[in-house]
Parts: sequence; C-alpha cells; structure tokens
Amino acid sequence: MGAVTFPDPKVTAYITQNMIPLRLPHDHKPLASQFQVTWTPTLVTLDTAGKEHHRTVGFLPPEELIPSLLLGKAKIHFNHDEYPAALKTLEALLKDYPRSDAAPEGIFLRGVSGYKGTHNPKALKEAYERLQKEYPGSEWTKRALPYRLIP
Amino acid sequence: MAKSIEWESDLQKALARAKAEQKPVLMDFFNPG
Repeated sequence: MGAVTFPDPKVTAYITQNMIPLRLPHDHKPLASQFQVTWTPTLVTLDTAGKEHHRTVGFLPPEELIPSLLLGKAKIHFNHDEYPAALKTLEALLKDYPRSDAAPEGIFLRGVSGYKGTHNPKALKEAYERLQKEYPGSEWTKRALPYRLIP
Repeated sequence: MAKSIEWESDLQKALARAKAEQKPVLMDFFNPG
C-alpha cells in the first residue's frame, strides 16, 4: 500500500480532502489488540467517535481503495440513520467506480438505505434487479435474492 | 494539492481532528518491516 496505492495522486487527494489518516504499526499497543488486527495491511474506517464501520484486510490497488473508502463513509451515514447522506455517497461510488469490487455491496446498501429512508420496498427490488443484471455472480446478488419477490 | 499523505500517529489526536473537521478516520495498521 505504501509503495503503490497511497502515493497515487488520486488516492492522496481523496484521503487528504475527505479523511483523517492515521497510521499505526501492526503491533501497536493497545490498539492492534483492541481492533483485533491479525494481518497487514488492515484498513479501518472510524466515525468521529472512534467506532468502527468498515474494514479491509490485504492489498488494494488505487482504483479499488477509493471506492472502498466511499463505501466505508456510506456505512457510517447508514449506521447513523443518515439515509440521504448515505445515498449521496453511494451514488458517487456507483457513478465514479461502477466496476469496482465495492460496487455490488454499494448497490445493496443503496437499496437498503432507500428503503429505510422511505419505507418503500421498491428500492430493495430495484437493488436486486440491478445486481442481477450487472453482477449476477456477486454474493450481494445472492443476499438480495428475497427482494425479487417484492411486488 | 498535497504531494503525500500526512499521517497522524495518535488515535486521540486523529479523533479530535475528525470531530473538528467532521471527517471519518482512516486507520492503517501496517508492517513497517
């Protein structure tokens, strides 16, 4: 990450503008134990209270890191019941990084955010239909399978 | 534009900045080798 991904100009710009970057050695005491770090790199997205919302383990190339961080930001909004903000962040993810590994989960979370924000199950069915069309082999398509039954 | 990422090294300082700037924290556990 330190040799390839973090020096990437787009990654540097995104992190500098949108996040507070904190780097710790994998054996940091007490945080490595507190956050149950067992392999590197482990990237954890925290909210402003220090609560974890998103985590990746292993190398991510530049074109995958930014969408992963966008997904983490959306999860913070979602977990705080801030559905319009979650949807806005997920739209950015899906517009700018539609082929990223984070996109299928982004579509799933977009559907759930849309439903929780409006109580309209149409958002869930749309999520399933988009996942089935664009990512038929994704685990997130399987997780959305029950939504196909929504009338 | 920043040429490189300026990493914090203290969680409490990072969280104080996060609250002040209303941004999430990206915490990278790495192997310094």
